[in-house]
Parts: sequence; structure tokens; C-alpha cells
Amino acid sequence: MSNSELIKIAGGWFQEKGWEPFPFQLEAWEHYLNGYHGLVNAPTGSGKTYALILPIFLEFIKAHPDEIGRENNGLQAIWITPIRALTKEIQQAAQRAAQDLGLNWNIAIRSGDTKTSERTRQKKNPPEILITTPESLHLFLASKGYPKFFKNLKTVVVDEWHELVGSKRGVQMELALSRLKGMLPGLKVWGISATIGNMDEALAVLLGNSLVEGQYKVVKANIKKEIVVESILPDEIERFPWAGHLGIKLLHKVIPIVETGQSTLIFTNTRAQCEIWYQNILEVAPDLAGAIAMHHGSISRELRDWVENALHDGILKAVVCTSSLDLGVDFRPVENIVQIGSPKGVARFMQRAGRSGHQPGALSKIYFVPTHSLELMEAAALRQAIQQGQLESRIPYIRSFDVLIQYLITLAVSEGFRPKEILSEVQGTFCYRSISEAEWAWCLDFITTGGASLYAYDEYKKVEIEDGIFKVNSRRVAMRHRLQIGTITNDVSMQIKYVKGGRLGTIEEWFIAQLKPGDIFWFAGRSLELVRIKDMTVQVRRSKHKTGKIPSWLGGRVPLSSQLSTFLRIKMDQARKGELLDIELKTLGPLLDLQQERSLVPKDHEFLIEYFKSREGYHLLFYPFEGRYVHEGLGALMAHRISKIQPISFSIAMNDYGFELLSDIEIPIDQALEKGLLSTAHLQRDIEASINSVEMAKRCFRDIASISGLIFKGFPGKQKKDRHLQSSSQLFFEVFDDYEPNNLLLLQAYDEVMTFQLEEVRLRRALERIGQQSVILSTPDKATPFSFPIIVDRLRERLSSEKLADRIKRMTLRLE
Amino acid sequence: MQTHHFFFKGQQLRLHPLKAIYWEEEDALLLADLHLGKAVHFRKAGIPVPRAAGDANWDKLIYLFLEFKPERVLFLGDLFHSTYNSEWQEFAGLIGQFPDIRFELVQGNHDILSPADYEAAQITIYNQPLRIGPFLLSHHPIAAPPEDSYNLAGHIHPCVWLKGNGRQKLKLPCFYFGEDTGLLPAFGAFTGTARIQPQNGDQVFVIAEDAVVEM
Repeated sequence: MSNSELIKIAGGWFQEKGWEPFPFQLEAWEHYLNGYHGLVNAPTGSGKTYALILPIFLEFIKAHPDEIGRENNGLQAIWITPIRALTKEIQQAAQRAAQDLGLNWNIAIRSGDTKTSERTRQKKNPPEILITTPESLHLFLASKGYPKFFKNLKTVVVDEWHELVGSKRGVQMELALSRLKGMLPGLKVWGISATIGNMDEALAVLLGNSLVEGQYKVVKANIKKEIVVESILPDEIERFPWAGHLGIKLLHKVIPIVETGQSTLIFTNTRAQCEIWYQNILEVAPDLAGAIAMHHGSISRELRDWVENALHDGILKAVVCTSSLDLGVDFRPVENIVQIGSPKGVARFMQRAGRSGHQPGALSKIYFVPTHSLELMEAAALRQAIQQGQLESRIPYIRSFDVLIQYLITLAVSEGFRPKEILSEVQGTFCYRSISEAEWAWCLDFITTGGASLYAYDEYKKVEIEDGIFKVNSRRVAMRHRLQIGTITNDVSMQIKYVKGGRLGTIEEWFIAQLKPGDIFWFAGRSLELVRIKDMTVQVRRSKHKTGKIPSWLGGRVPLSSQLSTFLRIKMDQARKGELLDIELKTLGPLLDLQQERSLVPKDHEFLIEYFKSREGYHLLFYPFEGRYVHEGLGALMAHRISKIQPISFSIAMNDYGFELLSDIEIPIDQALEKGLLSTAHLQRDIEASINSVEMAKRCFRDIASISGLIFKGFPGKQKKDRHLQSSSQLFFEVFDDYEPNNLLLLQAYDEVMTFQLEEVRLRRALERIGQQSVILSTPDKATPFSFPIIVDRLRERLSSEKLADRIKRMTLRLE
Repeated sequence: MQTHHFFFKGQQLRLHPLKAIYWEEEDALLLADLHLGKAVHFRKAGIPVPRAAGDANWDKLIYLFLEFKPERVLFLGDLFHSTYNSEWQEFAGLIGQFPDIRFELVQGNHDILSPADYEAAQITIYNQPLRIGPFLLSHHPIAAPPEDSYNLAGHIHPCVWLKGNGRQKLKLPCFYFGEDTGLLPAFGAFTGTARIQPQNGDQVFVIAEDAVVEM
């Protein structure tokens, strides 16, 4: 059968459904059938699934025209999705199409939720299509006999690739693909991605060494949707808080949106904020009880499924959620989107806006609720960024030795591996294309001898070498490894269950550790009483108390993207010039007047530094408007340079607009400026010095230690038994720093800080920009609207050039 | 390195920044929570702690034995991290070089070696708290020590948070002397710390690099 005949079959199926294939779907079918690798660039809800699921069927029909209905054909395709929530919808869509086309295929899901009996069945009798996640795919590679399981595989489709590409899960995907391609030279690799700033790079990461001219195709959907951004404005900007992150003050203006709309999604930035908003909405509008729900990543799968289904059926007026609803199933009834606080990035904001207005030609409308006054400016910046189509890039990780070490042990646990063969596969990935022989040798040494060992007799045991094959023989090591596969690291979390049964979700151990039995806390919108903690399970019962602690979940703060930062500087400049095209800038007028009165609103050729004293100490503030990450780097750099002038200790805080150096003694700022505080001279040397003196690398090392298997959290429910093997990433960081300074995992932590926080290029660019401006040192009497949100921040980096003994002379015991 | 002289319960104690107490009246060195063998224990399970991490312990022990030449060395529990491994032999070899010192161990929860192992190394073991002078030495802090005694214990690996103006914050390991219990910092490298919350009237000595400083 020719390709055009095959495409007609698919087109016919579309017609039966009363649909018309989009040009990008036709294009994808054709390229797929012609044997290309490729990437489909299409947003969620555009029919992207059918763009790639149908040609998988067509290819089978082409190969077996006389036995279309044949059963047990072995695994034909793997469909990777970043989140489990998506699997079911894809399965249903695929199953429906397969059936209609006359195929007797089994389309199965494999995830952490899959039952053991089902797993065994899948292994014995592989489904034709397996829908799974990167982690579960690695679990396959960790099980004996995987080459047999994959032997008929024709293609791997990676869905929502934009979600994976900038993370270590993306690296995991690259490695899995390298192994599959190594076994199956004819394997086709396809990705589906929403638009991001670095599409070309995303394609290069996905394809690795298959990125060969003439062997791949990029298919663009070109579906554009109108997005309208409307800010919820405070009535009096003068009375709106200068700092904050909850946004509850504007709750009364959100209620009418919920009440009038058919169905509303309210996006919050954290799970704690989600809980608080839900609770507050019910307090203000009790008649919404039963018509609103909550959705976040710590709520149990069962509860989340219920919420998603209810949304789908249009029986909910509103759902308060976090990024947990960024992806996933289309919720057609959703009419309004509300974003509380800064979304921090243009792409995320657009993605959320796109969850509404599914009717053809409909507008996507998103309401922006500021949580503090200056945040209003972000709404204006977002609007312009959307208009100009400026989307963020997702920077891929490179040279992630933690993921590589995990992967090598994965292979050693199942079939064992020959280094030469695996090295050439690994070098074919984007992530590890620059790996050297010496680095590879270090990794092998690390998993076999535990790193540089000068001892004649050493009991280290993990991966052993037999006849040139690297393998794990210890069942215990193997079991521990399988439990640890993955790159998403969390604090130890505990299940929350009712005493009488019924899972509610998970909560981090450190939060529960603060509570005693009888204490009340809120979770998933319910007031709960802690009854007891048993085997890593928190048992609770419903409580009638209205007041209780609200859990917070530890997690990094998302920095403002550099795209958004650029537009923020544009808006700042417009505001200063009086070009008040956006309602937000008009509203902010009185606040900027106050900033000008107390200090200064910098013009575009001016760089503002504020210096003032308060009860807390001496505050020095800089406003580069470069986003949190760059400020973290600049803050450490500035603190380091000043600390070379005299012994001094700083605590450093930052937000997306600027950063603060706070000291208990006077800061020699004039002297520092004279000595080139903001200069680009010796930049690299100073960055290296400052990175060693702050905690950033230690924080990066947390994930690295966990991914590479240094940290073992114990077997579920059997915490006690392995207590003697428990340790913290911090201890590992310290011993490596002291005794193995060339450890690649340690160096990786510094590299990651350099890539994401202290990137020399970005710091240099920022300093060069500042170098063209005239520095204005303002000395306000008290905090200004610009400085206030920064100086109240408690999350701080610290840097000191004083002797420890001198430092503690001015300190006291903290008793609370 | 400087010791901090601390006169307490009628006894002369010298608090050493290497996390040891030298007790002058008894000519005894008190050490808690060495967790020897921890690095090797991890390595045996395939977790690559650098072996050198354990070696720091040897250097510090030799330094202290030579510095004070004590008559006895009292370990307040968790001397060895886990089941027998090669580090025990190294340790036995090391203390064998100090025939004039009596080595004694008040057992802790990690001390699960067989009595024969201790005997071979010529270490006297106590499975009950040990009373010497005013002090009752134990591994776990004792909830209510007898009225005429003051409990000195390990196990906790104490550290405190210090705060200063300008939002300065520091975490440091410490010696802690409460109303009826005193805690020694954990001696061992690669052992970690746990924050304690001192009450008014407690005495806390933090370890600031090579000095011991009273707060």
C-alpha cells in the first residue's frame, strides 16, 4: 500500500468522526511514513496526539496489509508523557482509533500506579503501545531481559518535550533513547513540543546523533490564539501592600469572576497558597461549597482524578490549583483563568491562559491578581511579551554526571553492560557529547571502587566486573537502586490517610514533625486532626475546628525569566517617562511618586543604589531588574568584593527586581565603588571566589547526591532497618570538598551554579549594561517601595570575610 | 588550638575544639559519638563515602592522646558505627600504641560489636551508666539522673543556632551544660549535628574552628 493510500485511510477515519485533518497532521503522517525522525511543534489541545498516533497504526497496516487484525505483535511504540495524568486520555484516544482501523492492539499504561500483576502480564505479553514516563522507562532498563521486551520496537514518541527538555528528566530521556537506538538501529524518534524560545536546541537534544541533515523533519502547527490579559486592580494603590505573596486582599474581586463564569481555574504558585485561597474563598462565599475544588501535586491521585473528571463534566464552578493543572486533559467548560501572583515566565502564563476558550475562534482570557503593588508592572510586561511572541528558552542540562551514574547502575542491575559499547551510545547524546575518556573512566571507577581508593583492602561493593561486563550482583544493592530511579527529588514525604482508610495525599515529614497528636491542620481543603503517625503514614480524622496550621512545602522559588525581566525594564522606563499605555502603569503612579520622593525612580541611563540604616543594620540595595538568578549571582559577587576591603559579614536577599546586602556594621560603599565594585575586570576570578563562599553549590548538590544514589531514604515503611546508612547531602558535600576535591559530582554542583546562577556571560552582560549607566547612590531615610519587598525577605544567602571567632562575639544564642 | 577552662561541679574541665573534654581531676579524656567505621560501613553497602573521611578521626585521636597523655579515655557511646569491618582493626592497632592509657566504653545504641572484639582491643565496656565523682556518664541522656549526680552524655550531636544583627545566622556544634545533664559534641567526622534549644541558665560553648567560645 502506498503512503498516500495509507493517509487516505487516516483521513477517512477523521471524516467518519466529522473532523477535518489539520495540515500539520497530514504533514506529520507523511514524514513519519517516509521514515524520518522529527518534532511536531503544536500546543496542547490542537490534535497533536493524532498527528503521531495514527501513523504508528498506518505503518503497521503497511507492513501487514493482509493481517491487520493480528494480535500479540510485540511492543511497537513507546509514548512518553511527563505526567501520569495525561496517560489515560492518550490511551483512550489511541484505543478508539486502533479499533476503528481494525487493529487488535493492546494499548497499555505503565506508571508508578500500575499494579504488580499488570506489570508481570505486560512483561510476559508486551502491549503494542506502552504509554509511560521517563522514570518508568528506566525501570524497564533496570529489569532483566529488557532487550527481548523492546526487540520489535519501531518508534518512541516523546510528548510535551518542552516540559522535559530543561530538566534532568530530559537527560534521563536522552539516555534511554541512546540505549534503545543502540539496540535497534532503525528506531524512529519523534517529539511533540509547544513553542519555546529554543526550538532548534530542543530538537538537537531530542535527536542527539540522529540529527543528521535529510533524516529528520520539523512540523509546525501554526495555531495561534488571541490572549487577553486583564489585571485585577486594587481600588487604592496607596493602601495595597508593598510586599507579600498571597494576594488575598483582592479576593473580593475574584469572587464575582467565579460566580458569573461557567467554570474558572484559579492558578496559584505554591501548594500552600492554593490551600489558603481555597479556604478563604469558602469563608467569603460559603454558598460555593461543593461547587469548588482544589488540585495540587500533593493531593492523592484519586482525589485529583475526581476533580479532573468533575471539571470535564462541567459540574465545578472553580478549581484552585497549582502548576499541577498546567498540563493535561482539555477542560472544555473552562471559561475563565485567574493567575494569582507572578507566573514568572511568559510561556507558563500563555500555557495557563490557553486552558480557557476552547471553542474555535474564542479568546483566551486571563485575569492577573497582583500580590504586592510592584507586581502590577509584571502584568504590563507579560502583555507586551505575549504580543511580541517572546517565549523563554528551556536550557538543557549538559554533563550531568549524577544522572549518568544512576543510568550506569541501572544497566548494571539488569543485563550488565560493556563500557565500550555504552560509551559510544552515551557520546551520541546532546548531554554527554563532550564527555572525555578520563571522565568516563572516573564514572566507571566511581561505581566499581567508590572513587579514588588508595587502600589495598577495601570493602566497597556495588558494581562488579565479570568477563568485561559491569554488573550488580548484590540483590540488596539492586533493590535499593530500583527504588531510587528518577531525577525528581523530594523531601521525605508521608502518606496522609483517614484512620478509617482513604488516601488524602502526601505531606513532607518536616511539617508533620512540628505537630503533636490532637493538633489541627488543613490539607486538601479539609480541617484535619492528627491522630497518630505510624509507619510513615499520618493518620487523621476530620475536624470541625476552623483554625489550624496550613502546611507549606519546601521548594525553590521560581525566578523571573530573562525574557520577562527585559520587558519589565521596558515598562519601568515607560512608567518613568509617563508613557502610561497600560492601565497597570497608570495605577502604579502614586507608588512611583513615593519612590521618587523618598529616593529615585531611575531613568534608563541611571543605575540606582540605595543605602540606609535601620534597627536591623545597614542596608545596601541594587536594582538591576535582571531576575532572581542573576541577582543571586550579582549579590554574592558584590558581597565578595566589598568583603575584600575589610572584614565584614553580609546576609543577602533578592527578588526579581533587585538585591540587598545587609550588614551589622557600616558598609564602605563609597570606597567599594571607587575600587570598581561594578566593574567587569577580574570578573571570572571574583565569581569563582564568591561561589566558594556561599551555599549555592551545596544546595545544588542536594539533588545531585540523591540522583547519584549517595543518599538513601530507606525502604518504604521500613525506615528503621537501614538507619545506619542514612546521611545527608550536606555531609557528603563536606567530605568530598575536604577529601575528594576532584569528584565529578562535586564539580557538577559548581558547574550547575555557574550555568544557572552565576553564569559569567549573563553577569558580564548585566555589569556591562550597568557600566554604561551612571550610578546614583541614594540615601533615603527609610525603606522605599522598591526596597521593602526585598528587605522583608527571610530567605537569605550569607557571606563573610571575618574570622568565625570574631563574628560570634557579636552574636547571641537563638532561643526560639 | 586552645582549650576552654571550665570549672564545673567542683571539677576542672578543659573543653577542646577537637570536641573532647579533658577532666583534670581524673586525668581522663571524654569523647562521645566517634562513629568509627562509618565510612567503610557505607562503602560496603555501595555508597561511596571517601575512605579518607574516616582517617581524620585517627589524626585527631593521636593528637589528643599525645597532648593530654591521659590515664584513661572514656568513650560515651557510639564508638563504632555498626557491625564489624576493617576499621575496627585499624582502631585497635592505634590504641595498642598507647599501652599506658586505659580505654573504656559506656555502650551506646550503635555499639553492637561482640564482647570479644572489645576484649581483643583491650577496651573495658559498661552496659550501664558509669558513676565517677559527681558525674554519671552515659550514652543516652538520662531523663532524671539521681539527685546527687550530674549526667554527662553523648548521642544528641548537639549544635546551636546563633543570631546577630543584620540577619546574621550561624549553626555551630557545641558543648552544652543544662540543669542536670551535659552534652558532648559528636567527635566523629561524617556524623552530622542536631539542633538543641537551650533554656535560660544553661551554659553553651560553641566550637568556632580552633577555639571554644562560651555564649
